Amino acid sequence: MSAATVQTTHDEAHGHEVPYATQIRSNRLGLWLFLFSELFLFGALFTSRFVLWGNTRPDLSQEVGLLATGVLLLSSYFMYRSETGAAYGDQKRFLRSALIAALMGLLFFIMVVVMEWNVFGLSGSLFGIELFGHLKPSDGVYGGVFYAMTGMHALHVLSGIVLILIIWWNGRRGVFTPERHWGVEATAIYWHYVDVVWIFFYPALYLMGQPA
Amino acid sequence: MNENKAAAYRLGYITLAILAVLTIIEFFAAIYLGSLVFLFIIAIIKAAVIIQNFMHISRLWREENH
Repeated sequence: MSAATVQTTHDEAHGHEVPYATQIRSNRLGLWLFLFSELFLFGALFTSRFVLWGNTRPDLSQEVGLLATGVLLLSSYFMYRSETGAAYGDQKRFLRSALIAALMGLLFFIMVVVMEWNVFGLSGSLFGIELFGHLKPSDGVYGGVFYAMTGMHALHVLSGIVLILIIWWNGRRGVFTPERHWGVEATAIYWHYVDVVWIFFYPALYLMGQPA
Repeated sequence: MNENKAAAYRLGYITLAILAVLTIIEFFAAIYLGSLVFLFIIAIIKAAVIIQNFMHISRLWREENH
């Protein structure tokens, strides 16, 4: 008798094996609790914006902010399509949508880091729209709060992209089935959460208050 | 099964459309109204739509059948 058989017999005899449905419910609750704990981090950053900036805001490119928001919302939509595809055994749509979601997430990341942070010190405009930001982390409370908020969010975007690429890779290998695809569901929930955070950060950074 | 699948994809399109409309309203409301409260309300509605339709928060209370 192999070790695996002995273990299975032991689990069956003592009822150690958790039913899949119970396991999923626990996983789901655990993930939501984790996201709730993240709320304190983002909530603190969000509050600091109002305490330190008051009814003012830095002069940021409205068009870039709107475009970045649109890209992230579209990415969230493709992640939803991907999860729905996995849930209904639509493998092609699941994989294709996951890849599009990751690419759009990457585009959002590039828009924040390359255009808004302007890490390469570029300058230029298109149709009269200034493409590259000029705010520096050392620019007092404006720079400090802006970089803390967008930086922490960008870090979550980056980790979300990695998670999407992992489920895409595993999906190609046929790991997920319509009955068992918790990895896809968890990644989708995390990705949408990152989107929800931006839904509050976008108006707080770009729209609320008078330009300083 | 096919009806459920079509409904699920349809929910995605509808949610995206709602989010797009609210984002555009938010953008122009900031320019022409400049009301913090209004912008907050739009952000809360957008977040609620995503949490309900994309994140499926109701699954937390639902019994799994697989």
